[in-house]
Amino acid sequence: MDLQNMNPSSLKSRFATRFLRALTKINAQKPISSSSSREIFQRYRRIKVAADKSMAYSVRSRRSWSRATLWRLRTRSPRSRLATLARRSSVKTRTTRAASHGATVVDRKSHGKENKEDGGVEAEELRELVPGGEAMDLCNLLDETAHYIKCLTTQVQVMRTIANLYSLH
Amino acid sequence: MNRALPEMLQCSDMTVLQRQRARLKWQTEQLRQQNYFCELSGVFTSQTGFQQGGLMNGAGGGDSVLSNMGMSRQLKPDPGLETAWPELGKINMGFGSCGYGNGPSFDMNHAISRTSSCPPAVAAAVGSKPVEVKGNSEKMGSAVGRESFKKRKVEKLQNSKVVAEDEYKRIKASEEEEEESKITGPNTIKISNNKKQNSGDTSKDNSKVSEVQKPDYIHVRARRGQATDSHSLAERVRREKISERMKYLQDLVPGCNKITGKAGMLDEIINYVQSLQRQVEFLSMKLATVNPSLDFNIDNLYAKEEFPSCTTNFPTVGMAPEMTNHSPFLQFNPIQQVVSGCGVEMGMGMGMNSSDMALRRTISAPVSIPDASFLNTTCFTGPQQQIQPSAPWEVELQNLYNVAFTDTIEASDLEMEM
Repeated sequence: MDLQNMNPSSLKSRFATRFLRALTKINAQKPISSSSSREIFQRYRRIKVAADKSMAYSVRSRRSWSRATLWRLRTRSPRSRLATLARRSSVKTRTTRAASHGATVVDRKSHGKENKEDGGVEAEELRELVPGGEAMDLCNLLDETAHYIKCLTTQVQVMRTIANLYSLH
Repeated sequence: MNRALPEMLQCSDMTVLQRQRARLKWQTEQLRQQNYFCELSGVFTSQTGFQQGGLMNGAGGGDSVLSNMGMSRQLKPDPGLETAWPELGKINMGFGSCGYGNGPSFDMNHAISRTSSCPPAVAAAVGSKPVEVKGNSEKMGSAVGRESFKKRKVEKLQNSKVVAEDEYKRIKASEEEEEESKITGPNTIKISNNKKQNSGDTSKDNSKVSEVQKPDYIHVRARRGQATDSHSLAERVRREKISERMKYLQDLVPGCNKITGKAGMLDEIINYVQSLQRQVEFLSMKLATVNPSLDFNIDNLYAKEEFPSCTTNFPTVGMAPEMTNHSPFLQFNPIQQVVSGCGVEMGMGMGMNSSDMALRRTISAPVSIPDASFLNTTCFTGPQQQIQPSAPWEVELQNLYNVAFTDTIEASDLEMEM
């Protein structure tokens, strides 16, 4: 942990940088003297999105799950025209990327899930959890899961530290 | 001793066990002569694989003769050979289940490991040997086993590196299995079972192998002649990859040491991922509710969290912005092009930082006193305190620019992190 902190371009510091920047932006937008639950909920959503986005951007496009997360975040934006355009172009790139990773969406849909014993029911659950996991065979899924777990733990650590520092004052 | 093995293999009156022992000794001796330190370099080329295969095939060639004489089960690896690498594992198995005990098995395993991990050195050194041994085995030979395994060897030597690596890992896995269990009757059956599952590929010649010395293993082995080779090979490779990844995940997920089996592990992994995601949600809710009007803390906790150690790397950070900006480049960006391009980046960074610095200073000005408690760790003097929060900030921003420019840093980081 300390070693990662020493390295300013480690995953942890990249994520922390981005997340803090986003957090300050969110905090600067609305002064939080008002404590209506709805506003708090909105802020919570924004912070959560910022956390996921920061993590995905810190990982860039090197991982399927980060690409899937970024794509999801982009298409979830309220700008529907841009969203549909992004979706059309992203679907092509996503399937080609998935194909290049050794699994094709077409195969999965045509052959059904029973033919390939890809780890069974639990693997399906895992696919739902890990972003972008639907189009992966078990081997790549486990790979992505390992990296995803690592990034999630980093995220939790940084966020916990920030929350502790906030609550101290 | 170098010549002794082929000659010994030629002697038909030696028993199988003696031949195997001789081969073990010969191989370990051969390998000990080599350089052992190209460890897991991942340089498994098909050419070296060929030479490795040549070495092993030569050694196994003697076995083919023996089996055709109906003496040995150890032929089984040999005609079942599909790549150079599975043969290593199969010889493993053969020796293991012969009931040699852990010692020679270890030797064989280590020998094979060394063989597989030092392809250039070994291949270079034993380049002549396999030819010689093969020549001898050809002289000895009955054609059936050898022709079949030679054919398969030639086909399968175009396999990719991945197969070689996977085979190597499987060999390591079977090594571990052997270490764990003693060579007794039922345990060896278990080993044979495991190895049978690990090395699921088969050939028709395997079914030819009849009962030999240890009848309690034969049931396991005889069942192996089922699927076609390429399919089972791919299956085996895939299974090896999956089990390797499951092991890695077992290390990542805490408290998974007792759980064996894919389903249980997957359940644990799913639970862990869900709990992590829930923690992220909880923490973001917490951050949303905490009163964030303490904006000045951002720089504080940024400095405290990120660069207490980082600033110690830059003892000159308080002196001049240019000095500050130079040192991170030189320290974080060993890549020449980045250093050469840092003039451009510094320009950008400086432009950005001037506005940021102004902002930071206005924010942190009223609260310089509480800042001191955080910044004492970096042992900076008073007048520099206002620069202090921004200095790591601008350092980090410039690093971000550099990172954006150079993807190789990202690659190396991710490699390290993985």
